[in-house]
Amino acid sequence: MSREILRVAGLTCRFGGLMAVDGLDLTLRAGDLAGLIGPNGAGKTTVFNLLTGRVGATEGAVSFQGQAVLGLKSHQINRLGMGRTFQNIRLFGELSVLSNVLVGFHGRLEASFLSAIFRLPAYRREERRVLARAAELLELVGLQDLARERAGSLAYGQQRLLEIARALATGPSLLLLDEPAAGMNPQETANLAGLVRRLRDDMGLTVLLIEHDMRFVMSLCEHITVLDYGKVIARGTPEEVRGDPAVIQAYLGAGLELGQGEAVHA
Amino acid sequence: MSLREIFSPGPLPPAHLTRRRDFWLSLMGIMLLAGLLMGVERLAGGYWVHMTCLAGIYLVLASGYNLVNGVTGQFSLAPNAFVACGAYVTSLLTMAPAEKALNFILEPLVWPLSVIHLPLGLALVIAGLVTALMAFGMGFTVFRVRGDYLAIVTLGLGEVIRVVANNAQGVTNGPLGLKGIPHLTNNLWWTWGLAVVALFVLTRLAKSSYGLALKAIREDEGAAESMGINVFWHKMLAFTTDAFLEGMAGGLLAQLITTISPSLFTFFLTFNLLIIIVVGGLGSMTGAALAALLITFGGEWLRVVEEPMSLLGLSVPGIPGMRMVIFSLLLMACMIFMRRGLLGKSEFSWRWLLAVLSRRGPRP
Ligand SMILES: Nc1ncnc2c1ncn2[C@@H]1O[C@H](COP(=O)(O)OP(=O)(O)O)[C@@H](O)[C@H]1O
Ligand SMILES: [Mg+2]
Repeated sequence: MSREILRVAGLTCRFGGLMAVDGLDLTLRAGDLAGLIGPNGAGKTTVFNLLTGRVGATEGAVSFQGQAVLGLKSHQINRLGMGRTFQNIRLFGELSVLSNVLVGFHGRLEASFLSAIFRLPAYRREERRVLARAAELLELVGLQDLARERAGSLAYGQQRLLEIARALATGPSLLLLDEPAAGMNPQETANLAGLVRRLRDDMGLTVLLIEHDMRFVMSLCEHITVLDYGKVIARGTPEEVRGDPAVIQAYLGAGLELGQGEAVHA
Repeated sequence: MSLREIFSPGPLPPAHLTRRRDFWLSLMGIMLLAGLLMGVERLAGGYWVHMTCLAGIYLVLASGYNLVNGVTGQFSLAPNAFVACGAYVTSLLTMAPAEKALNFILEPLVWPLSVIHLPLGLALVIAGLVTALMAFGMGFTVFRVRGDYLAIVTLGLGEVIRVVANNAQGVTNGPLGLKGIPHLTNNLWWTWGLAVVALFVLTRLAKSSYGLALKAIREDEGAAESMGINVFWHKMLAFTTDAFLEGMAGGLLAQLITTISPSLFTFFLTFNLLIIIVVGGLGSMTGAALAALLITFGGEWLRVVEEPMSLLGLSVPGIPGMRMVIFSLLLMACMIFMRRGLLGKSEFSWRWLLAVLSRRGPRP
């Protein structure tokens, strides 16, 4: 079995009286392709926010690559190798598609401020390398022809792909995708599934994704954790989760989800 | 609407293909500027030299300020503090000890300052560094808050500096201010030298990876942080770079007007700069520079409206203050028709200018 990359133990987050995340345990091994599902408001996004330092935890521990990350700033956690996308797309709307990806590389830029201003050879070398890498990433997600468009002007599906490219630019070993298929048509969703699989198979990334499109999650993820009201109610392979009575109950309780994502065909 | 949208020649060639040509064009632009300055110095009167200096100083102040407010999106209202700091430091370092003794009649100037007498270049650099250091200190409190709160805190700090200048009798000479600051005969060249360097540094910075990071912070601070950008230090970087340039420009301002007092560095100075960067287009360095020139010289050109004139046979007496009315109307028109300022968020580039010039006839 491969190396453990993320270990979450007893992670708890309370907003006032609301337990958004309640004693979450979760372990990911390098190369895992895992899913985190649950009805709306179950606390999935909050888990991502806790892992990436956007929200402070009430209790619990998170160790990423063997290092405790709770309490670190978002940018520090990112530089340890945790990249993410946002459910409510948060691109740098006024910047170009290419610039959005280039920003992703900035955190790891080695050239100093002065060498960037005076375009010293060290900076120019790095700039060339980064530009080439950015072009590769855009090609990977299929946005190479839109590099000079304003990010805010892209279609939703394309914006989600750009978010992935930008996150990849930060050089992650663990990629957290928050509803990457939301707003995509079936064709785009199928392409996205192919992309995520390539990220894992070819680039060796570990992926944890949140998604409402059950067909997408069930066909893509090898391991699924189901949250409801902040608590894990089931975990296992797609088959195990699909037939779990607690999961069926949770999704039936939230009637809308069933029709939307074909959650359960038990 | 912005100029860039009114004259939009379509997609431009990528920057790296025309870098060499653009370099030579910039060099020619600088030589043309030097020729113009020489013309002003030789042919025009002292008044125009004064105005040209002032325009250059405003150019530096506005484009530096734009780095913080426009590029990084941090609504700071502290530039008057930076200008004041630069002006006092430069003046105290360049005035002759005897002159200083004449100034400080209520309380003598504190010791090392009372004997120091430095050449201007060195004094300016020190002024820039001291101002940057001040900004660095301020940054720790200022960048704990965002948005409107940041505006309020910086406004407060700007006022604090003025109060300090008013009361630190032994250093600033209090409300009496400093008189007899050595008048710089070739101020034109110092100022415009600084302007060219500042604009070069700032546009390069805005285009570099660091500039992209600053713009990312403007667009979405949280997302920028999640992409591995240390938001706090990048804001600091913008703030101190701005302070360094504004400190130097403040020093040159003092050398231009030769008399400074705390009342010179009120919120109105900040307000003028704010108008300039908004008119130029928040986030555009070249826009800020263009607006600085337009507004400093424009205020002078508008003086004609205050002179007596005859309109359709009617003789209208000169109305003092009319200039400001028209100025306000122009500003309003600008905000209505060019809501994003002259250049919006984009920069002037030779590629754009050449594309506009080479496009014949109206756009299909
Ligand atoms: N920053 C916050 N402050 C207060 N409540 C929050 C915050 N973020 C999320 N919540 C609440 O926590 C619960 C879980 O939200 P979220 O994690 O976004 O759910 P999901 O992503 O599973 O749909 C919701 O009830 C939500 O309103
Ligand atoms: Mg969510």
